[in-house]
Amino acid sequence: MDTLVPQAPPANGRKPAGWLVELEREVESHPAVNHLLLARLATGPYTDGDYRVFGLQHYALVGFFTKYMELLLVRAPSSAEKLWLAKVLVNEYGEGSDGLDHTALYAKYLLDAGADEGELETTPLCAEVWNFVGEHLRICREEPFLVGLGALGPGHEWAIPKMFGHVIPGLRRAGLSEEAILYFTLHTEQDIDHGAWMTEVLAELVTTEEGRAEVRRGALLSLEARYRFWTGVERQIVARRQPVSIEAVRRGLHGPQRESPRVDSPGDLRALRRAIDAFFRGKPWPVRMEGRRP
Amino acid sequence: MRILLVQPAPFENGRMGLENALWLSEPAALTSIAATVADEHEVRILDMRLEDADVLPRVLAEFRPELVGVTSMTTDAYQARAVAYCAKSILGDGTFTIIGGHHPTLVPEEHDVECLDAVCIGEGEETFAELVQHLGAGGDPEDLDHIDGLAFRRGGEQVMTAKRSQARELDTFPTPARDLITEYQGRYFFGPAIGMASIQTSRGCAFDCNFCAIWEFYERKVRLLSAKAIVDRMEAVPEKFVMFLDDNFLTHRPRLEELLDEIDRRGVKKLWMVQGRTDFVVENPDLLSRMRDAGMIMLLSGYETNDDGTLDSLKKDNTRANNLEASRLLNRLGVLTTGIFMTHPDFEEEDFDELYAAINEMRITIPLVVVHMPLPGTQAWRENKDRLLTRDARLFDLLHAVVPTRLPRRRFYELYARWNQATMLSTRRSFSPRFFVKRPRVMAALLPGFRLFRDRLRVLRRAIEDPESYLRDEIEIIVEQEPADAGERVPELVA
Repeated sequence: MDTLVPQAPPANGRKPAGWLVELEREVESHPAVNHLLLARLATGPYTDGDYRVFGLQHYALVGFFTKYMELLLVRAPSSAEKLWLAKVLVNEYGEGSDGLDHTALYAKYLLDAGADEGELETTPLCAEVWNFVGEHLRICREEPFLVGLGALGPGHEWAIPKMFGHVIPGLRRAGLSEEAILYFTLHTEQDIDHGAWMTEVLAELVTTEEGRAEVRRGALLSLEARYRFWTGVERQIVARRQPVSIEAVRRGLHGPQRESPRVDSPGDLRALRRAIDAFFRGKPWPVRMEGRRP
Repeated sequence: MRILLVQPAPFENGRMGLENALWLSEPAALTSIAATVADEHEVRILDMRLEDADVLPRVLAEFRPELVGVTSMTTDAYQARAVAYCAKSILGDGTFTIIGGHHPTLVPEEHDVECLDAVCIGEGEETFAELVQHLGAGGDPEDLDHIDGLAFRRGGEQVMTAKRSQARELDTFPTPARDLITEYQGRYFFGPAIGMASIQTSRGCAFDCNFCAIWEFYERKVRLLSAKAIVDRMEAVPEKFVMFLDDNFLTHRPRLEELLDEIDRRGVKKLWMVQGRTDFVVENPDLLSRMRDAGMIMLLSGYETNDDGTLDSLKKDNTRANNLEASRLLNRLGVLTTGIFMTHPDFEEEDFDELYAAINEMRITIPLVVVHMPLPGTQAWRENKDRLLTRDARLFDLLHAVVPTRLPRRRFYELYARWNQATMLSTRRSFSPRFFVKRPRVMAALLPGFRLFRDRLRVLRRAIEDPESYLRDEIEIIVEQEPADAGERVPELVA
């Protein structure tokens, strides 16, 4: 995949607040935040079964956000960044959601959408899920701290409220109750708070050209992984009804040929957890990272 | 103004259908509309059938169009709406969005949604040009009553303007702005004819088949582009293959004679494909022979069925004898035939066998068997509206039964899914080695595309020959329930 957004103008002479507004606009118009799957979910009919497929892939992302944050927290250079990360972490652990952490909330949505508990663990996850998780672990451990902050901050907190804003109308149309979709509605509210806290922190940090470039790079890395993730989910939804179509895309038999998705799944959620443990022990990520990096 | 016109991907991104496997024609409606405003405004066309999905948001963010137009057939309806939604999401409410095409024209009320500011009803060129003029001059986007042929949103309500007259002579429209799709040229195809230009030389149809909305869309009028203008366009395209997109090219013999004279006089050497009726072929064998000599390589016709009673019930105004005679004649001439046939939800077991046997008897080169479909806007729709099992546009793809089947649905699809295998004899009888001898130049031109066509077909066949493929599409949309008493099965409308 090509770099999805144009080069940002140089930061010279602009105040942090102005630069952050521009970055926020860039995030909000990114293809990941406006993926056609999200537009379809917002405007077209999908069945609860389609939402189950969607959710079983998305669920894997929900469980590991705290891992990225923990990785980044220990690398935070000062108390301001530590404080923001800690505040968000507390929220992610379940504050404001009746004691349920976000994984439990998401599991509740899936069960209401008709999934059974076993499926949560055993559903084959598409390569793009693995790619997303692996990319964020790598960013938070190997990239400079501000790149990690850009990925988890602007790349997530500014993107998620808008992305979930696309998904929620479709979930309601599919007949899911407000209780069932609490994970999504809660995040549109919480992440707006997280985004506002983060803006305060970033305003202190993005005073140099170099710092701004790192934050922006992190945001774009995260969003590009997110774009590929939505594309992977979309293909799972299509493949549920027409598995042959995925092969046609992979072989470039119709339409564009730039994207060549893997057909096989690298493994389910249990395998993903094992891969993460192994990654923390220094083993290489088992799935090749897709896509170009900004 | 900056204007972005979008041809959406059919169905869903990454989904294969007949359209993108067997043929892909240019977005002719968009190039035609673009031509009316391209001189004064900055216009771009995106063909999302040939782009990765990320290109749309990227172009929206970079180009920042003030107007986004999208066209839609029935199966594209959700993708088209998603395009408009995406535009509003990235650019905000200040960007005007409009949808046009057959489906929105025939059911504008289905497009009364927040992300679409207007629906263009009927032929789009003049309506679009007037809209652009109004918006470009800073006109109020909710004050569009003076523009005929629109359904627009004012205060959250859909408002219809006066009907747009569709009487303008085709020669007076500007030539389609094909320069806006240069980057896609060479990628449009019909079967192995890869690198195909698309030219529309007429609008409307004089017949009134009850399953077709063309004659209703164009209010039963037929307008023709002059022979000279057709050949001008043929000469202007670099592609060696041309598809005439007319719903019925074979009409008005004097124009066709004039066209052939003009092609001959100007020495145009294109290989071209058309759609037309078999009765015209039978009534004008001499003309068909001349057309073959002038470069016609394929005729796509709606043969529909194998018996006169059904043809009458479809208001086809044609006969089985004509179908047989036309295919015989075309095979003799060395013109490839693509024949559309319909199964019907009322089919019994033996009806399938009889249809497939009839196709083999007709020796059609590329037989395509579809399911009778009450498409929105047709007489068949109005007659079957109350029997519809779903209004989900994805299933209006000519491959699904959207009304109850007489046979159990699984059995219906088992028999339907056999059509490709069951009619291979037809292809073999038509596309024999004799064809290679008759038309060596045509074969040489088609040869480079055969490999890709074969690969596409192999994948497509795995979907169309699998009965489960159709049933999977219907999961949670149409559910057949076992009846309490043994006997007829009752499909249930789910959503």
